Amino acid sequence: MATIYPISDSATPSAPPGNGLLVLLAAMTPEQLERVLANLTASFPAEELLVASPNALPDAISADAHSSLRMVAAPANNPAWTLTAADFVNACQLAEKNDARAILMLGPESGSFGSPALRQLANAVLATADLAVPCYDLPPHAGLANSAILYPLTRALFASRVRFPLAVDLGLSLRMAKCLADAARRFTAINQGDAPLWPVNEAMVAGFAIEQFDVCPRVQPQPGRPDLNIILPLITGSLFSDIDAKAAFWQRFRSLPPADNSLPLPLAPATDAAADIASMLSAFRLAYTNLHEIWSLVLPPNSLLGLKRLSTTDAAAFHMPESLWARIVYDFLLAYRLRTINRGHLLGALIPLYLAWVASHINITASGTDPERHIEAVAAAFEADKTYIVSRWRWPDRFNP
Amino acid sequence: MQNILALMLQTSINQTSPPLPADNASIWHHMADALHQSFDRILSLLIAILPGILAFLASLVVFSLIGFAFSALLRRGLAAARLDEHLAHGRGNSDWMPSTSPTALIARASFWACVLLGLIIGVSAFDASYATATTLPSRLLPYLTRVAGAAVLLIAGTLVARFLARSVLIGAVNEQLQYARFLSLGIKWLVLVLTAAMVLDHLQLGGHVVELAFGILFGGIVLTLALAVGLGSRELVSRSLERHSEHSGEHSAAPPATPPPGSDDSIRHF
Repeated sequence: MATIYPISDSATPSAPPGNGLLVLLAAMTPEQLERVLANLTASFPAEELLVASPNALPDAISADAHSSLRMVAAPANNPAWTLTAADFVNACQLAEKNDARAILMLGPESGSFGSPALRQLANAVLATADLAVPCYDLPPHAGLANSAILYPLTRALFASRVRFPLAVDLGLSLRMAKCLADAARRFTAINQGDAPLWPVNEAMVAGFAIEQFDVCPRVQPQPGRPDLNIILPLITGSLFSDIDAKAAFWQRFRSLPPADNSLPLPLAPATDAAADIASMLSAFRLAYTNLHEIWSLVLPPNSLLGLKRLSTTDAAAFHMPESLWARIVYDFLLAYRLRTINRGHLLGALIPLYLAWVASHINITASGTDPERHIEAVAAAFEADKTYIVSRWRWPDRFNP
Repeated sequence: MQNILALMLQTSINQTSPPLPADNASIWHHMADALHQSFDRILSLLIAILPGILAFLASLVVFSLIGFAFSALLRRGLAAARLDEHLAHGRGNSDWMPSTSPTALIARASFWACVLLGLIIGVSAFDASYATATTLPSRLLPYLTRVAGAAVLLIAGTLVARFLARSVLIGAVNEQLQYARFLSLGIKWLVLVLTAAMVLDHLQLGGHVVELAFGILFGGIVLTLALAVGLGSRELVSRSLERHSEHSGEHSAAPPATPPPGSDDSIRHF
């Protein structure tokens, strides 16, 4: 029977896991927990694993099926759809307490995470890598915020090809876990344990090794309240703040590692794209009419002219150039740093522009273009315009048409 | 006519008129005396208030210098303690973060606090040195402080109105409400009308007229907004309310949601 050892404050040290790997699970249903434990047993059949979970082990789970697993109780955090600062602090504390060499953090819905992927992530952090990140295989119209903003910014500024910088599953070495825990304690110290963290950025700044692995399709957890007006400003603001704090790092030239040509396989494009585009385009046009004077405080005349042309373009021909989107994101990043307007207002004003990009992306993929090709083109545009953001960061008052 | 002239010249009718040059001399002598007395009164007034003015200026200059030195020391100390970084990590997205760094704000606030203190002390010194029985200055000085308070109220009210108007505009646009700009203007004018009423009340101008006018105007704006939103945009409001109720009904607080099976074609931003 899998044994649960509740974590106590006593000084009794627990025995380190057999292969030095600690698996930290997120809160999940008993069925999900059973699937995860089954996958872990299949992935590491002959090795003793230390598994930490905030869930109590159900009595229905049989002892013989998971005899190689040793379970401990992990502190329960507020359920979240992504890894938070509190999760990284807990992971580091558990790893140090149990003398683990590496940590495998599995997010919500990890029952669908296959055994080969678990094995790959674990082997990477037990051997050479400090940070192992999965490359998820998503449908073409999923993870659009990551494709539009998170991935291109991380790739251009931090010279990292990690496709999903805010992955919900990670493999960490002990030193990577300590580095992330130090960064996370700035948030937990002021009762903001739910704030997201950016492991890829931290690893690049610290000079740690990162490896990325293609994984089978995984059920992606969704936010409890999927309100774009709340979550996009939260995620984007967190990334902007992190970029602002690491300006001394990304302003230096760094070459991007070569691509490994293992892009996620594209799936068939959506069939109801037209209806989705109509609502997004109407939102963009309404925003252009009402928010133009706010955008003019942030964007230069060239970008405003590009948006004006877009506002008069038909739905079928709606296409936002990649360079325009890159400039828009960079200008908003700069305005975030300079506090040109209130940051909450700034990030709220970005939402209609993001919806315009999404509509353009859907149009492009509906015309037959591979979604990943378009996203790579967007990322390349961000890389090409890196000199623009560096010069504007250093000389924000310089003439900018 | 001769009597009037004699009276104006202050001479007796029956007396023989003195020689002309002697009359002119006494007129000029009297005028000179009156002028000298006026100058004496002005000089004595100036002598009375000049020390007060000098004390006021000296107090202002001294406290400005103290404020400058204090703010420079404070700026260096806070920069060494990295206050900006500590606050930026914690409250990066806060709606109330100012546009300048906290260190600069605190330094500026300390400087202007010292200047204000110097102003108050200078006004007290001026008031103490100016000893006079006239009531106008004793009433004017407290009113000047009311004017300063009203100016501060007006500035604060204007800033709050602009902030709220922008917040409402962006929020309404993101909710795809067609009347977003109208709503934003309504909120802005509500706050501005309230601010104007508070300022006039603080200045003690208008009395009950201002209160009545404010009540009518404020109520009229609120009624207009309510009618416009309630009658003119019923379908939009009901659609946005339905959307909110759908979201709150489908998603609970605890574990993150799993997308329904077969929904690969739907747009997912995260």
